[in-house]
Amino acid sequence: MVSDTVSYTGRRIEVDALSAEARLVERAQAQDETAFEQIMNLYADRLYNYILRMVGNPADAEDLLQEAFLRAYQGLPSFDGRASLSTWLYRIATNLCIDHQRKRARRVQTVSYFAWEDEEGEPGEWEFPDTQTPNPMESALNRELQQVVEQAIGSLSPKLRTVLLLYDVENLSYEEIARVLNIPMGTVKSRLNHARGQIQKQVEAYLRGESK
Amino acid sequence: MNCTRYERWLWDDLEGRLSVAQAQELRQHLQACPHCQRRWEAAQVTYQALRTLPRRRAPEHLTQQVWARVQEASARKPAFAWWKRVALAPALGVLAAAAWWGWLAVNSEHGGVSGTATASQNADNWVEIHEQLEVADWSPTPTPSYFITTGYTR
Repeated sequence: MVSDTVSYTGRRIEVDALSAEARLVERAQAQDETAFEQIMNLYADRLYNYILRMVGNPADAEDLLQEAFLRAYQGLPSFDGRASLSTWLYRIATNLCIDHQRKRARRVQTVSYFAWEDEEGEPGEWEFPDTQTPNPMESALNRELQQVVEQAIGSLSPKLRTVLLLYDVENLSYEEIARVLNIPMGTVKSRLNHARGQIQKQVEAYLRGESK
Repeated sequence: MNCTRYERWLWDDLEGRLSVAQAQELRQHLQACPHCQRRWEAAQVTYQALRTLPRRRAPEHLTQQVWARVQEASARKPAFAWWKRVALAPALGVLAAAAWWGWLAVNSEHGGVSGTATASQNADNWVEIHEQLEVADWSPTPTPSYFITTGYTR
């Protein structure tokens, strides 16, 4: 049951949120379409950003996002709640992205996050967060640096990119990532170290004026 | 100086995973090592950049598009999918075997001594094969201790 009283501990809030999510899943499993729409609304942005960074193309990302929710809807009856809903959804999305990359593996392509066009045919850009961060380090980060990081992410192998995005961008824990990818936690940590090392190298080169 | 060790600590430090003593040791090393100091700055900037990457909103009309796909998928769902046909094959096999055993049992009841002997011989053969398989599965090379501990006497 979700507590009606104000909860002052993070743990309590987390437990309440989980049980609210479990009830939402139960309703969706009972063919309650509104509940499934709520699930979509909850996860659409997160999954879209993750998929977009995985495949690097908005049209493909949109298609894969729809496919992910379709599969989630079809798989809901067999979802037993052993994994959390988010872990399950990220697993579906990851599998779709991997399949997508396999299908396109024969084509030599460079993933560019700045290559797409928006509705008016103009070059597409990332939307930056509205909130200004109070941290001087964060406010010092400019668009150029973020582009360097985005491009560095795009240059990672799919295996490394998946782990980096799930941990550093989507804020999943080691345990959750291990469950999403069905790999040992040690492998998650090792891939994360490699991915971070590669990104860091490119950022260091940028800071030293060697790139861009 | 062992820079490799301290480089490994950079991200742990950013995530607050180092002990107080380790963090202090790292700070001392960074003051003395320009190479690691550069690495530290790059790690810090990367760490912050990853956490403040711009995010896009999911496309509008996503819900409608997903429902359209759901309907489309249910419309083109074959009534009898290929995997159901594959799954049906063993079931039919079991059914055929049961029918054969049933036929054999009925024949043995009405068919006299020879029929009964055939059925029991078959059963014995099956038991023997089954036991051989079990022994082979449990212990490919049975040793004396195997017979003592398992009590297997045959």
